[in-house]
Amino acid sequence: MSRLIEFKNYSMGFRDEDGRVHNLLDNICFSIEEGTAVGIVGESGCGKSMTSLSIMGLLPPSVVIQGGEILYKGTDLLKKSKTEMQEIRGKEIAMIFQEPMTALNPVHTIGFQIGEALKIHFPDTSKEDIQKAVIKQLELVGIPNPEARAMQYPHQFSGGMRQRAMIAMALICQPKLLIADEATTALDVTIQAQVLDLMKRLKESGSLMVVTHNLGVVAELCDEVVVMYAGRVVERGSLEAILDHPLHPYTKGLMAAIPTMTSGDEELYTIPGSVPNIENFEKGCRFSPRCEYCLDKCKDDVPPTKQVDDRHYVQCWLTFDGEGADYDNNNS
Amino acid sequence: MGRLLLLRTSKGLLTIFVSITITFFILRFMPADPISILIDPKMGPEVQAQMIRRFGLDKSVPEQYFIFLKGLVTGDLGLSFKNQQPVIEIIMQKLPWTLLLLFVVVVLSLLVGIPIGVLAARKQGKFADKLINFMVTLGISVFLPFLAFGFLYIFAYYFKLFPTGGAYTPPPKQGLAYYLDVAKHAVLPSLTLFCSHVASVVLYTRNSMIDVFNEDYIRTAYSKGLNEPMVIRYHALKNAMIPTITVTGLMIGTMVGGAVMTETIFAWPGVGRLIYDSVSAMDYPVLQGAFLILAVSVVVMNIITDLVIAWLDPRIKLGG
Ligand SMILES: Nc1ncnc2c1ncn2[C@@H]1O[C@H](COP(=O)(O)OP(=O)(O)O)[C@@H](O)[C@H]1O
Ligand SMILES: [Mg+2]
Repeated sequence: MSRLIEFKNYSMGFRDEDGRVHNLLDNICFSIEEGTAVGIVGESGCGKSMTSLSIMGLLPPSVVIQGGEILYKGTDLLKKSKTEMQEIRGKEIAMIFQEPMTALNPVHTIGFQIGEALKIHFPDTSKEDIQKAVIKQLELVGIPNPEARAMQYPHQFSGGMRQRAMIAMALICQPKLLIADEATTALDVTIQAQVLDLMKRLKESGSLMVVTHNLGVVAELCDEVVVMYAGRVVERGSLEAILDHPLHPYTKGLMAAIPTMTSGDEELYTIPGSVPNIENFEKGCRFSPRCEYCLDKCKDDVPPTKQVDDRHYVQCWLTFDGEGADYDNNNS
Repeated sequence: MGRLLLLRTSKGLLTIFVSITITFFILRFMPADPISILIDPKMGPEVQAQMIRRFGLDKSVPEQYFIFLKGLVTGDLGLSFKNQQPVIEIIMQKLPWTLLLLFVVVVLSLLVGIPIGVLAARKQGKFADKLINFMVTLGISVFLPFLAFGFLYIFAYYFKLFPTGGAYTPPPKQGLAYYLDVAKHAVLPSLTLFCSHVASVVLYTRNSMIDVFNEDYIRTAYSKGLNEPMVIRYHALKNAMIPTITVTGLMIGTMVGGAVMTETIFAWPGVGRLIYDSVSAMDYPVLQGAFLILAVSVVVMNIITDLVIAWLDPRIKLGG
């Protein structure tokens, strides 16, 4: 297995109106192997979308990159020119966005929007071949009557159908990596299951980065899990490690908040408090104000990232079984 | 589509009817007496009575109104008080001049205004945008006669580049020379109107372009690997044009009624100048005719604008 994507101490922040930069993503480290699915989890506002957009090079204009690298097949995406990134987007790395209702252009047909990536990345493709590829993609994502559907506009599609169309659009050039940012959040449960099935099949052809605040989706799809809190990777490891032996208090809190078969009608656990705004991040551990195990040093010093098992890392001041020497952030 | 068009057309006809009715009664209830203008005291009493009968001024106002409506249906707008020519003929003489000015101004405003609006949106908040915004504010808030006199002073009086007024130098020349002469006369009035219209085109294009740039589907377009010119061309412009087209439609509609001040200052022989002259002369039938043309053009432009927008945006269904 080789690494498709590797975040190496990547940091970024936002410049506010006064010109001050507020850090959001802080020393992000994780990688995505070829042919695997990695889940990025965390509550809303933890920086999951910014992580995805960083790979795509589509960050909002107020973003300042503060350091680190994002390697794609060994070369740094942050150093690529505009045109080099345009070559990669849609062809090598594709993304499905959070909002199926607004992410499609209302004035173009679904077919046009799906075929567009093919048209620009393979300009020699004939109109007929593009049309054929579009129909095939629509069939693949399970849209019935694809010939007629390709001629329709987004407003003639239901939410679930639009999300399928988005997937078809992202897959038309057979990208090496598909980033799905909350791709199923807006869908109802049955359609969500169908879309998940669809994404599962994708793993055969490429890697998957699944961004979600829903651990159920992660359990369904992913091999590895990255838990993010307030712009930091607080824990990462294999699916089993995270689901069966969560270590970080935040991960534990997230797990306790999943509804299970036995939880019945009683109120679900929720982590007290909410994700702070970037201007109010704690100096030390950003989770410390909400943490029931909070120590004195948690408030003032950034916790070290520790390796607790092969590929299982946790960023916390607490002591864990099997904890090795501090994992050096600068040397992944 | 047909049903909606029918509905729009009947609503439009109603609008026209209401507006000409209001015009008619406002004119009748003005404190001035048109008879005194129509009648030359030197005329004999019989001639005077005959004149008054000829223009229907001996009848009551409601009667006059019904005569006016009956004439309207048959395409007869009555006679001018001033020179006793059929109103329809007078208007048809003036209308082409106004349309010429209108065409030049609209085409130029769109051709120049849209790219500038797009540029301002792309450079939002930067120097170029601020400069463009300043010019636009100036263009929108400037008092048109002030601008017109300014241009007259600079280009016609000081540099003597263009004539001070009229549409051509009498007597009219022949062939190409005539067209060139008209073009030269059209420059200053067009420029005046252009300044204010291009400003609104820029403003609307810029603002809607900025809105569209923030849409999710623009990010989707970039995520496919499109470059900025492609995103603007295929994903932003079509969506952003809708407000610009709406104001342009409105602008065309009202400008057919003549740019009264501009046409008057430059002595341009269009509908606007006609309105000005007819007000001074209390020439009611001509005024009624001019307002009728205005109402019709506003309504027609509204329908055309709706059709264009429906063609641009598939979400708007004309089926009803
Ligand atoms: N344009 C922006 N300017 C300043 N802060 C921003 C901007 N966009 C997002 N943020 C901040 O970044 C944080 C993370 O955003 P995001 O990546 O969208 O989180 P997630 O996808 O995990 O919900 C939020 O706290 C938000 O306040
Ligand atoms: Mg998000």
